[in-house]
Amino acid sequence: MRRGWLRRRAAASLLVLFVVLVLNFILFRVMPGDAVSTIIDPNFSPEAKARLRELYGLDKPILQQFFIYLRQMLTFRFGLSFLSQRPVWEELVSRLPLTLVLMGCSMLLSAVIGIWLGIKAALNRNKFAEKFVLRAGAVTASFPGFFVQLVLLMLFARTFRIFPLRGSLSVPPPAGTWALFCDYAHHLALPVISLTIMGFGGWALYVRNLMVRVLNEDYIVMAEARGLSKKRVIYGHAFRSILPPIFTILLMSLPGLVSGAVITESVFSLHGVGTFLVEAVSGNDYPAAGAAFYLLALITVICNLLADVMYGVVDPRVRLEEKN
Amino acid sequence: MNKILHLCTIFEGVSRRVVAAVCFSAAMLSVCVFCTSACASQQFDPQKVCGPKLEKLCMVIVNNTDAQILAAENGDLDVVSDIVRPSDIQIISRNKNFDTSMARAFHAFFMLMNTTDGIWKDKYVRQAAAQSIDRNNIVRTIFSGYCEPINSWLPPVSPWALQGRSANLFNRAAARAKLKKLGYSWGINGMLIAPDGKPVKKMKLLTPLAKVAPTTAELAEQVADSLRSAGFPVEAEPMDFSAMISKIDRKEYSLAVMAWSMGRNPDSLHGFYHSSQNIPGGYNMTGIADKNLDKALDGIVSARNKEEARKASDKAQQLLEDLVPSVPIYSRLSVAAVSNFWKNIITTERMTADNMWTIMLAEPKNGKKRPMRMLLAEEPRNLNPFTASSAYSWQVLGMMYEGLLETNPFTLEDMPGLAAKWSVRAEKNKTVISFRLKPGLLWSDGSKITSHDFAETIHFIQSNKIPRFLDAVKNVKSVACPTDLDIVVTLSGESYWYLDKIGGMLCMPAKTLKAVKDWQNWNPLDKSQKFGPYGFICTGPFIFESYRQGEYVMFRRNGNYRRLKQ
Repeated sequence: MRRGWLRRRAAASLLVLFVVLVLNFILFRVMPGDAVSTIIDPNFSPEAKARLRELYGLDKPILQQFFIYLRQMLTFRFGLSFLSQRPVWEELVSRLPLTLVLMGCSMLLSAVIGIWLGIKAALNRNKFAEKFVLRAGAVTASFPGFFVQLVLLMLFARTFRIFPLRGSLSVPPPAGTWALFCDYAHHLALPVISLTIMGFGGWALYVRNLMVRVLNEDYIVMAEARGLSKKRVIYGHAFRSILPPIFTILLMSLPGLVSGAVITESVFSLHGVGTFLVEAVSGNDYPAAGAAFYLLALITVICNLLADVMYGVVDPRVRLEEKN
Repeated sequence: MNKILHLCTIFEGVSRRVVAAVCFSAAMLSVCVFCTSACASQQFDPQKVCGPKLEKLCMVIVNNTDAQILAAENGDLDVVSDIVRPSDIQIISRNKNFDTSMARAFHAFFMLMNTTDGIWKDKYVRQAAAQSIDRNNIVRTIFSGYCEPINSWLPPVSPWALQGRSANLFNRAAARAKLKKLGYSWGINGMLIAPDGKPVKKMKLLTPLAKVAPTTAELAEQVADSLRSAGFPVEAEPMDFSAMISKIDRKEYSLAVMAWSMGRNPDSLHGFYHSSQNIPGGYNMTGIADKNLDKALDGIVSARNKEEARKASDKAQQLLEDLVPSVPIYSRLSVAAVSNFWKNIITTERMTADNMWTIMLAEPKNGKKRPMRMLLAEEPRNLNPFTASSAYSWQVLGMMYEGLLETNPFTLEDMPGLAAKWSVRAEKNKTVISFRLKPGLLWSDGSKITSHDFAETIHFIQSNKIPRFLDAVKNVKSVACPTDLDIVVTLSGESYWYLDKIGGMLCMPAKTLKAVKDWQNWNPLDKSQKFGPYGFICTGPFIFESYRQGEYVMFRRNGNYRRLKQ
């Protein structure tokens, strides 16, 4: 039964992916103009433009273009970017580390701080900890990200000059691996702090609400009555029971790492996957934009599937229901 | 109450005008200040320059305009180019650490009219529309005076532009009188009624989206407002730039606003206004077709000498003034700032301080040597000289590659580059151009530069039909190298512009061209050398050292550069 369920889920995921692939292709071709049409340079004659279209494969029939595109996506050979003339895959991979470090660190930090604060708030009802979590959560969740980031940038990079204004390295970069690492960390500190500030409140509120509900459950009262230590009751029973929704949220926010990077990378002038996405779309770079959206869809589908599977792993009740 | 409001509006209008006038005067004063410094630069002889003095040059990549200004204020940049927003110009010019320079630029902004559609078929209606637009007001209110209102189809900086064409044509009463004479009248809503008694149909003025081009979008609103005041039922319609180009290309539009950058020569007019260019992908976006204009434009392209070119160019511009297929509105002033940490900064009337001559001569005032940090406003992305098309890629490549001819920074005339001298001979249906290379020229790797390298470059471009250089070499019939220093290029037909096209082309070493396996996929930064050789062998003042995406491009001085030995 479990295998059958997995197979069905996998098939549904594949179908979603195919629909995304088709929409991706249509969307960019339906949009008027292409990478060549926006060239306005009298020294670049219509003849030269036609040659460029031929080189990009834009002169081929649309169906042929679709099959080429399909083959490229399925084999992960996304072709050459119109703008950089470099393989799209190579360019994506070169930008990925920065985005992963930036978004990974901030997600981890905001999740850890948020979960810890959420638990503290649930255990200290009507006290400072709870009031702080409720207010901080509301404030950080309601301010637009770019605004918070710009304020922090102006304050700590321009007025007080504690952090650098832009980029991930000094120009010219310092010599030596350790100095280089420190320089890199110094440059990424402000973006990570800003993302953490904006992210921890949501986590804290969510965990606090879940914990408040769970702490009032009978089995928690029962565990306390059995004389279990407070720590065991909180982390071994109460917190464990809220792990499935936390895992789901964690996995579901993974695709958001890339889309969330768009604003942060723009504000802090960072060269990551987010800016790649913006440049590809604004420059009508079909291979690059197609690949970026396809990979985003792929990550979303995989994370969805993984969240379903993980639910069973962390919650024994789900496994029991399936057996029954 | 209404009276008070009315007075407030008047006061607001007056005060805005006063502020705008002050801004305009300030901008013009800056131009005058710049002219003074330009006079100081007259001492400099571009042919005798010895440099570069800099050992290292660093191009810092900062895409965001606000970040560029902040980086300059923080001291992270020494050279900031192409400052456009009036607020940024004011911030930088107030900064004591920077010297700001301003010069006329080749940029020009136009309102395009679809001359194949509705009322715009009539040149007198187009003339009336041109008279309805108050260019000075647009320049003052949107650009605080940091632009030049124009009435010419070539930017005023071009030595080929007709002189005295910056007077404001704006005369709404004359425009209305012209329309009245043509039989037009005005309805009770103030909009035009055609001579046949039917109201003129509503028209859209296409403009890029405000989030992409905020000043253009604002300008379009003002232009539409001006036209409405004369009775033209026009509304601005912002849209995606690609969509807009596509509509213009298919002539599915009435009006549009667009800016482009033109070269110093008038041959670009042929592309924009010759009837043969009214084809899909062509640049005749207004669809103008006039026999006399075509003849004059053909005369520019096929001119055998400068006099013929001048005559044809003047004629074409006069015809354009009469036909008005598009309405010239303004030409942007180029503004740049250089940190006063550096001395020997060069500016001319036609060139801001962020130029090659400054880079060649700049030295720290305090003698403490360090790399110069220059702004690169976009990622260079592609450093394959055959396929690179963005201005930012060429800002990088331009430090390394040179042509046979250079442009004199004062006169914009040709001057010797890699070639010491040249001659152009027009024969029956062909043009023969001979160049003689300067003796003792070396590539950056120390090997000799010969005429064969240049011949190979032309053959390579021709045989591969490389789009970027295709137009420059398409008429080349043969290239001969009588000696290692002499190149003779024979082209079909006669044209004065052949010299610029051939002389301005980059020159690559023959050995590099032989090693390129796939010109389209070649990446000179690919160490695996999958499609061609690694690195750049070049003739320019700097050699590529490293590139970190999103951060910087680093150069070091080319020890074999020809000007180092002068």
